[in-house]
Amino acid sequence: MTKRFFARQWKRMIIMSLFILLVVLSLEIGSMSDIGMMAAIRGDENARLVFVHSRLPRTIAVVLAAAGLSVAGLLMQAVSRNKFMSSTTAGTIDAAALGSLLPFIFFGQQSGWVQTLFAFVFALLSTLLFTAVINRLKIREVVYIPLLGMMYGGLILALSTALSFRFAEVGAMEFLQQIYLGSFARLGDFRFVWIVSIPLVLAVVFATKFSIIGLGADFAKNLGLNYNRVVMLALVIVALISASTFVAVGPLPFIGLIIPNMATSFYGDNLKKSIVDLMLFGAVFVLLCDIVSRLVMFPFEMNVSVTISVVGGVVFMMYLLRGMYGGKLRRRKATVA
Amino acid sequence: MIQVQNIVQSYGRDKEILKDVSLTVREHEITALIGANGAGKSTLLSVMTNLVPAQSGQVLLHGQDIRNIKSNELAKHIAFLKQSQQLAIRITVNDLVEFGRFPHCGGKLGDEDKRKVAEALDYLNMGDMAEKYLDKISGGQRQRAFIAMILAQDTPYIFLDEPLNNLDIRYSVEMMKNVQRLVSALGKTVIVVLHDINFASAYAHHIVAMRDGKIAKEGPPCEVVTAQVLDPVFEHKFHIIDHDGKQVSLYYDHDEASACKFCG
Repeated sequence: MTKRFFARQWKRMIIMSLFILLVVLSLEIGSMSDIGMMAAIRGDENARLVFVHSRLPRTIAVVLAAAGLSVAGLLMQAVSRNKFMSSTTAGTIDAAALGSLLPFIFFGQQSGWVQTLFAFVFALLSTLLFTAVINRLKIREVVYIPLLGMMYGGLILALSTALSFRFAEVGAMEFLQQIYLGSFARLGDFRFVWIVSIPLVLAVVFATKFSIIGLGADFAKNLGLNYNRVVMLALVIVALISASTFVAVGPLPFIGLIIPNMATSFYGDNLKKSIVDLMLFGAVFVLLCDIVSRLVMFPFEMNVSVTISVVGGVVFMMYLLRGMYGGKLRRRKATVA
Repeated sequence: MIQVQNIVQSYGRDKEILKDVSLTVREHEITALIGANGAGKSTLLSVMTNLVPAQSGQVLLHGQDIRNIKSNELAKHIAFLKQSQQLAIRITVNDLVEFGRFPHCGGKLGDEDKRKVAEALDYLNMGDMAEKYLDKISGGQRQRAFIAMILAQDTPYIFLDEPLNNLDIRYSVEMMKNVQRLVSALGKTVIVVLHDINFASAYAHHIVAMRDGKIAKEGPPCEVVTAQVLDPVFEHKFHIIDHDGKQVSLYYDHDEASACKFCG
């Protein structure tokens, strides 16, 4: 037990050091190279302004969004008991987009708070609908569910696109295009990404309950848990995280899918023990992607969602293939035995 | 004390799964539920644990209707393990057993909880496997881990739904011996659904045979494991032999089964 304990501590130390290193790097990189943390601390007024109003909020946004999406992904996977579920593969993101588009079309440009509220309501309703349908269908092959979810998301996107064409005169098309670009360089402020910290705290508080529902409804009921209520709580948290990160930084594809899968292979699924590691892991991944996007054509920067899509897509394909191939392999073994 | 009174349970409009079932659970004994597929064994277990609330009739725990007991409170009295668990998440044996303490501590383990977890692990000889992940151990060990969890849950009543599913003979016997120990050494009351009549005959104190949603016969193994009772229950011809005072049922077709080609 003690050996394992130290192994866990080591892993945590490594991810911690990586995290701190990347946070510092992220704060130091920018088009004005003489503006760094040190300059800001020394009291250079210009440096302080850039630091407080641009660099720091950006890094905080990266960390919160990444940690949030990782937790959201893990919760969805626990609720659906499917390792391939996430806000990207269940249409949640697209529902959030539709939710932010509607007030824009009918009431004009809205504040981030209104957008987040609409995005949240749509994300929640859509996730409830999708999980209900999936449960009804009783699909055995786990890999079909993300594929179905992507099609479902595609349908919602198609609806949004059609709406934006219909209301092109108010600039809906440009709006839709803009919100679908994941970026940490948005002109707006990152204030509403702070909302993510609320569901994150909730997720930590209820960590054990979420792990238990991951073992199934009967298992949870045996331990005296109100299964439906905990599932509902998890889905509300997921929708809140998805909506607020979507409005603040746009879609960050694959994070909710690959980070929980990678992190749990290191730390296991007992959320009470591993949720902080999971958040750090997600943050490290996105910080890395963000730094890469800012460096490839310095001093300009690429959209972070492009980098994440490239890296995340490859990792996702690996998991998908392993899920399919691994599944077949296991089945073949079973028939032999 | 658990009393089942006049339970009628149906799915859909008119498909009755349980038809007026009444039963008093015998304390500190192993009660085995046997019967053909669809006889209502699992449904009865679900109703008795309030996993599915009773539609008509009631289940009383110490005289109180279990539908009116808070789920958290009920979980301190009744533990329920469904047929072999399919796992979607990666946790260690220790994590699982700690979950068993959830009804008592709500996830925040105190000293008492930790002691119970360690005891449960010890009792099922899983101490050195505590930090192993459940997907990395054998089916028999996993089943043992789940029993350890139930033990940590520390309930006087334990319900097991087909715990021998997917276990080979060695692990099945080991499992039943563990269940026997729960009763003889710890004074638990166990209700278990079994498919294999011979396991029921060998390990249960009391057998309840179900047919078409009703209790066809209940009593000690010597009264229930007889061709007279079993033939109608399973709609099959049984041949019962006596082996060291235990009834063993042979269920292959006796006339058609041919002798070994080589030894005649």
